[in-house]
Amino acid sequence: MKEFEPKIVAFVCNWCTYAGADLTGTSRIHYAPNVRVVRFPCTGRIDYNLIIKAFERGADGVIVSGCHPNDCHYTSGNFHARRRWIVFRTLLEYIGIDPRRIIFSWVSAAEGAKWADLVNKAVREIRELGPAKEFINMKQWYEFEKALGGFRG
Amino acid sequence: MKQLHERAHELLEQKAVSVIIGYGEGTEGRVRPVFIRTLEAVRLLVWDDRCRVNLAVYLNKPEIRKFGFPIAVVSTPATVRTIVQLIAEHQLSIGDVVVLVRENDTVRALIQKEDLEQYARNNPVIFPPFVIEEIELLKKMSIEERFTYWQEELAKCFKCYACRAACPLCYCEKCITDVNQPQWVCVAPHPVGVFEWHINRAMHLAGRCIECGSCTIACPVGIPIALLTIEATRVVKEEFAFTPGIDCNAPSALSTFRVDDKETFIR
Amino acid sequence: MARIGVFVCHCGENIAATVDCEKVAKACAQLPGVAYSIDYKYMCSDPGQNLIREAIKEKNLTGVVVAACSPRMHEPTFRRACAEAGLNPYLCEMANIREHCSWVHPKSEETTLKAIDIVKTIIAKVRKNQPLYPIKVPVTKTALVIGGGIAGIQAALDIANAGHRVILVEKEPSIGGHMAQLSETFPTLDCSQCILTPRMVEVAQHPSITLYTYAEVESLTGFIGNFVARIRKKAKSIDEKLCTGCGECVNACPIKKIPSEFNMGLGTRPAIYIPFPQAVPNKPVIDRSRCTYFRTGKCRFCESKCPTKAIRFDQNDEVINVQVGAVVVATGFTVLESTFFPEYGYGQYKDVVTGLQFERILSASGPTLGEVRRPSDGAIPKKVVFITCAGSRDPAKGIEYCSKICCMYTAKHAMLYKHKVHDGQAYVFYMDIRATGKGYDEFVRRAIEEDHVKYIRGRVSRVYERNGKIVVCGADTLLGAEPVEIEADMVVLATAGVANPGAEELAQALHISYDRHRFFTEAHPKLRPVETNTAGIFLAGACQSPKDIPESVGQASATASKVVALFSRDELTREPIVAVVNRCAPPLYSTCVGCFMCQTACPYSAIEREELRTRDGTLVKTVARVNPGLCQGCGTCVAFCRSKSIDLQGYSNEQMYAEVVELFAE
Repeated sequence: MKEFEPKIVAFVCNWCTYAGADLTGTSRIHYAPNVRVVRFPCTGRIDYNLIIKAFERGADGVIVSGCHPNDCHYTSGNFHARRRWIVFRTLLEYIGIDPRRIIFSWVSAAEGAKWADLVNKAVREIRELGPAKEFINMKQWYEFEKALGGFRG
Repeated sequence: MKQLHERAHELLEQKAVSVIIGYGEGTEGRVRPVFIRTLEAVRLLVWDDRCRVNLAVYLNKPEIRKFGFPIAVVSTPATVRTIVQLIAEHQLSIGDVVVLVRENDTVRALIQKEDLEQYARNNPVIFPPFVIEEIELLKKMSIEERFTYWQEELAKCFKCYACRAACPLCYCEKCITDVNQPQWVCVAPHPVGVFEWHINRAMHLAGRCIECGSCTIACPVGIPIALLTIEATRVVKEEFAFTPGIDCNAPSALSTFRVDDKETFIR
Repeated sequence: MARIGVFVCHCGENIAATVDCEKVAKACAQLPGVAYSIDYKYMCSDPGQNLIREAIKEKNLTGVVVAACSPRMHEPTFRRACAEAGLNPYLCEMANIREHCSWVHPKSEETTLKAIDIVKTIIAKVRKNQPLYPIKVPVTKTALVIGGGIAGIQAALDIANAGHRVILVEKEPSIGGHMAQLSETFPTLDCSQCILTPRMVEVAQHPSITLYTYAEVESLTGFIGNFVARIRKKAKSIDEKLCTGCGECVNACPIKKIPSEFNMGLGTRPAIYIPFPQAVPNKPVIDRSRCTYFRTGKCRFCESKCPTKAIRFDQNDEVINVQVGAVVVATGFTVLESTFFPEYGYGQYKDVVTGLQFERILSASGPTLGEVRRPSDGAIPKKVVFITCAGSRDPAKGIEYCSKICCMYTAKHAMLYKHKVHDGQAYVFYMDIRATGKGYDEFVRRAIEEDHVKYIRGRVSRVYERNGKIVVCGADTLLGAEPVEIEADMVVLATAGVANPGAEELAQALHISYDRHRFFTEAHPKLRPVETNTAGIFLAGACQSPKDIPESVGQASATASKVVALFSRDELTREPIVAVVNRCAPPLYSTCVGCFMCQTACPYSAIEREELRTRDGTLVKTVARVNPGLCQGCGTCVAFCRSKSIDLQGYSNEQMYAEVVELFAE
């Protein structure tokens, strides 16, 4: 049987991590193809609801990454995001969702290799955790709603 | 009670307030909220150990606001903290509310910022024993057990939004649940919609919840949902040293930051 | 229904080698809303761009997705191409299938599928894109320069010489700043005042510069191109038009023993005073806190001596509002006083002075008229110990940073001392010698080799008085930390350069950020060193961090060029990637409930309070409003808004949501 291949969504900021991932490309550093990148202007813009939506619809893992502290293009968006993540992560854990499924990182525009490393590690770790079983229950309801045409998007 | 009646009489007679929100005798030995506008009605006010529900919630209702400020509220320690928090969130101004509290067997009216803050600081919200038991129970559970616990509890939710209506800090005119472009929170009470609602509720109240428990009291199917916001408040308190409801000018804990906030979980 | 065109680029072999571009184009053609889908060898080439332009016209496209390289590379190119064909440029997005796909994965079915996924999500986003229009704001072509030191003077002159009006505000009675206090300047040893005063005079006489001395900026509102500054002109108690600067009043004043700020407390001045002989403007002010008349109601000696009757005891502070388009902050720095240092006697020894005080002792216009005489008894010191890094690079004192100028001015001090006291001996205790400017290291070598200044590498542990001498105890770490004790006649501390008192309040009034040492922070430490995070406010000189004169002047000119570039246009065009608070039909008017959580989240103070009123003027509620002139589009407020009342144009909730859920659409 083929090994489980996790689906991972990466929420990244435009100025550091997106540029860092660009550098990974320019440096031709290969990494696992499981990740899909969504570009935000800043980590401060990343809504936790989007992370929830990704899991519900079938993501097995989520990467959230932006500029290192003090390097934010907008000075403090990443600091605000960090606070939000501290609370969000605790709540998910409290409600019984494995926090290891969300990987937070700082990847700068110069850290092309770190991006490749981050993705590879994330894929490895989430492959070990297996499919996001906490959300399987939800996925079927999502299918059900879709059949009714009830989901917008 | 006599003191409360005297105080209420005085406030209405002097037209110092437009309405007094208080507790009255309900059915089956329970109390219910009453809205006193006339001197004759003052006698309906009761104040005893049964009066625990947070009446500050009515301060946000347009039906009450139309009477005009100032409004008097018969208050528990949780109510005072709520009012302080509402002032911090620019929903009320100092002077809008005459806060009636019991202190050493006398009734005091708090209006000024300093009085409100001092009372709020000196009178923390105390959880009833069964809440503490439940918190301890969850603390001991493994993450899988917690998942099962919440799956079972949340399965009961049919999204009546009584928790939202009862919460004095859920005052948005258009709740996120009513936003459908995009549909952040699924309407139906299936696991998706329920999960989305409760995680949003907890996130929205993080650093704001004053832990009055109104949501849990209101829940018709008995889900201990206050535990979620209590947990959110706990982490805000522990990580950011912030307690809501004690400072009328405090900026929100989640829309501020410290450069040295913990980031052990960030790679 | 949307009519989206998808253009898949091969980038020669860069994409096509690992991704089946034809397959990507075909797969996308099947997606809802896609009206046209094609692959081509080089989309960014002229024929490639033409392909897009033609398709927009022929297929009547309502959106464009270019699947090619990173949007950070070619987004402007393709948006421009779309605009040329009459499509709103913000309806065009790029899907990055090169850097994020073809370059990082091997040739395989999976890589092609990933590319399709990437394009799919961007198509979903474009379906929700809205046409956006650049934001235009007018520009008031007047600059406000705060601070009349060398940085402020240079910035003001550069901007004024480019043909724009400048308002220069200085809080002291004269411009000139610290540079006016210096004796000679390193590494050339030319006289500081000789090179500075012509510039000061030029400022005063420049027809485009309005100079307000003895004035402070109290508040700043508005945004880039459109600021309003409130300036308090403190009462000088003289009529400047009548005053000729003859100085009779200064001589008449009976109060003479006020420590002179200009001479760093080493000299005295009267209550009505001109800070130094070359002051600009060369007219006195009355220090009301020390004036006998203002303290007791009697005296008025100065008034009786004034030949032009220019004294005005009844003058009030004047507050004026000025409209400016840009602000240059050049408020400079100060140095720690010797009272800060317990190990050096908390300032109780008169002959332990700071570097700036020693400058005054060396200066020909100083209290000793340029002769090196120590403050306690006026004797010529035969042994002088210079201690560098007094406070700087000392985390225990809360100052981790290097003050940058001390190594150089200490070498200069020691050298000038040796030039004036030939039989004297100068010792310098140092941690490292940082002499990295042009001609700087040569200068320090000269001090050591030609003027025989003794440099001792080590810290000083204690300074105390013994038999009329100041004993300096230290260690020479190059001699195995051997203890060194020098019986000195005078000690000069190169105390740390620190932010001005009041820097924090000024930053808050201007809405600019500052670091934990209260130095103002630049927008980017490397690439935007003279801009602040608030558009239209710039930094020059040591208010950002300690700097020497050439650096301050260089930065001031850089700042001036930024201001001049800003003023080169009548209107500013800004990317419409800004946040917007929604509006809706009555009775809600807006779903914003005015909790103003967004206000503290905004790094740019772009969120204002707006009162919503009905047509007859009844207040409905107070809601948030985003000032598009200030908003930079980070979207932090958007993610915070509980009722989803704020949205970010270009990265709207609908767009981001569509992008995420599309990943999992079958």
